[in-house]
Amino acid sequence: MAHIRDLEEVSLLSICREAAREGQKILDIFPAEGGTSVALWGEDGKIVERDAGPGPHERPSRCGFPSLRFSEERDFPPDAFEPAAAPRAIIGEGMHVIPLGPVRADVAEALRYEMDVLGDEIHSLTLRPGYKRRGVTRILQGMEPSQAVEVAERTSGTSTVAHALAFSLAVEHALGLEVDDSTAVLRSTLAELERLHSHLGDLASLAAATGTIVAAADLYRLRDSVLRFGERWTGHRYLRGLIAPVGWRRTLPDVSAELPSLLGTVEHQFQVVRHALDHTNSFLDRLHGAGRIPQEGLELVGVVGRSAGRSEDVRWDRPYASYPELCYGRLPAGFAAGDAYGRYVVRCEEIAQSVAMLRRAGGHAAAATPAAERGDGLGYGLVEAPRGRLFYRVALRGGRIAASRIRTASSINWIAVPLAVANRNILQDFPIIDASFNLSVASLDL
Amino acid sequence: MFYPRWIVNLTKGPAVLRRRAATRGAKAPMPARLFARSLAIRHLDAGSCNGCESEIGLMGSPVYDLSRFGFSFTPSPRHADVLLITGVVTEAMVPLIRTTYDAMPDPKLVVAVGDCAVDGCVFHGAPGVVGNLAEVVPVDRWIPGCPPTPDDLVDGLLALVGRGASAPGEAG
Repeated sequence: MAHIRDLEEVSLLSICREAAREGQKILDIFPAEGGTSVALWGEDGKIVERDAGPGPHERPSRCGFPSLRFSEERDFPPDAFEPAAAPRAIIGEGMHVIPLGPVRADVAEALRYEMDVLGDEIHSLTLRPGYKRRGVTRILQGMEPSQAVEVAERTSGTSTVAHALAFSLAVEHALGLEVDDSTAVLRSTLAELERLHSHLGDLASLAAATGTIVAAADLYRLRDSVLRFGERWTGHRYLRGLIAPVGWRRTLPDVSAELPSLLGTVEHQFQVVRHALDHTNSFLDRLHGAGRIPQEGLELVGVVGRSAGRSEDVRWDRPYASYPELCYGRLPAGFAAGDAYGRYVVRCEEIAQSVAMLRRAGGHAAAATPAAERGDGLGYGLVEAPRGRLFYRVALRGGRIAASRIRTASSINWIAVPLAVANRNILQDFPIIDASFNLSVASLDL
Repeated sequence: MFYPRWIVNLTKGPAVLRRRAATRGAKAPMPARLFARSLAIRHLDAGSCNGCESEIGLMGSPVYDLSRFGFSFTPSPRHADVLLITGVVTEAMVPLIRTTYDAMPDPKLVVAVGDCAVDGCVFHGAPGVVGNLAEVVPVDRWIPGCPPTPDDLVDGLLALVGRGASAPGEAG
């Protein structure tokens, strides 16, 4: 990799320029920076500099809405929320705007939706994020990695393990260190446990949105059993305070005897719920064809991407932790149709995958190992979070973080939500489509 | 009769606002227990990581079953008795917290959920983060934890209305 001397000064673009001068493929250096962000390189590895135009924060607000705070960093694609296919102002008899949020629904994250509707049909959806910006990358600056991992864990609460792991991998990559095999296995175990509870929760909110409250209650109960298992094992329901760069923050007991019984219960009861849902017409009718993602070629990731014809999964493509030994049964590309039902099916299949992976991984004990990491370097970490690809880039100088960049799956996949909602759906479909994506706003407003 | 009230409302303003104006000066004595049984809760996210939302959502699951206490979530602050605020309190959310609070009818209570709402947690001092909910609205109860478990939340809400184990003599 091109050796970067002045990490604080250097921008991503200049890293890419330097790499290109040395004849390297930039894709090898920052694989996850591609996709729908400002495209810096093409398929062949050549740099494509694209001016992305003004960001959403620079656009005039249509309805006198307070200007939102954004840092100068451009963390998400500027045109993502206002696709060219949906003109900004639709004028005509009977057209009106339904504003929703940021204080909305029963329990929901702060995000403003503005829907242009004619009668019941939704013609366009504009997302206005930015209420939750907490300056995550700014606060990471100057922190030691052992301290910064706590911030990473709180970037997205339901993807705690994924964030801690991606950050730790980035630091380890920067320092040229590797962890031992048992730590790697435990990291995968925790990541799959997180995927299991996250997917169960996503399906529970989908069931709740379609009014199948018995299934929702069952799925919430299953999710809570996974969270309780996590608390018994690690002392924290969301598995916080464990993963750290190089080290391991807490001593863990051996649960290899308990884990199979939990997995057996979850697998069996989940199959019962799934069977019931698969034979409930009122559930299926609301999902089939609802919120279909219309455009081919959107570089979506994670569950949303895999339900819309893409096969990308970091666990298979660039295996980390102990995934080289764990992975099997990859979902084929084009597995689902890109509608709400597709996202439901992909989540169901991934729950089965996670259960199988957890069976292989077991639940070993671990002793706390102090993290002793000092040094300079630039590294990246790439993991498959429950919602999809998660990327961390960390620049270390003198044992402290000089600069960092986080790119979450939600920041990529939110692009698809307005397109899917404004695709011949009616207002009554909106909560179901929203629940079928179940993207995180905290991961968008970093 | 409808019409006389209608005319009065038109000439003197809505009855609700007149009552509010009349009670604004003299503060009514607060009863020992504001809410005897049911409680309508409005949740507000002021910059959380989604962990608190996840746990609040689970409160309604059959494991914790919030509804058995007569508690429910309401989509509108106009129906709410309690404002449940999560997150670090970002500057962008401050006016919205105030608007939501003002929209709630009296008597009303505010609960700060999670370490973030208490002091900003790890985001204390970050740009755009206020970090302390008490600077924005009066807070009646703090439920710390990162995130607080559904058990903590249920206990906190029961204690808030004097029905919890932590309020001896008033339980039951």
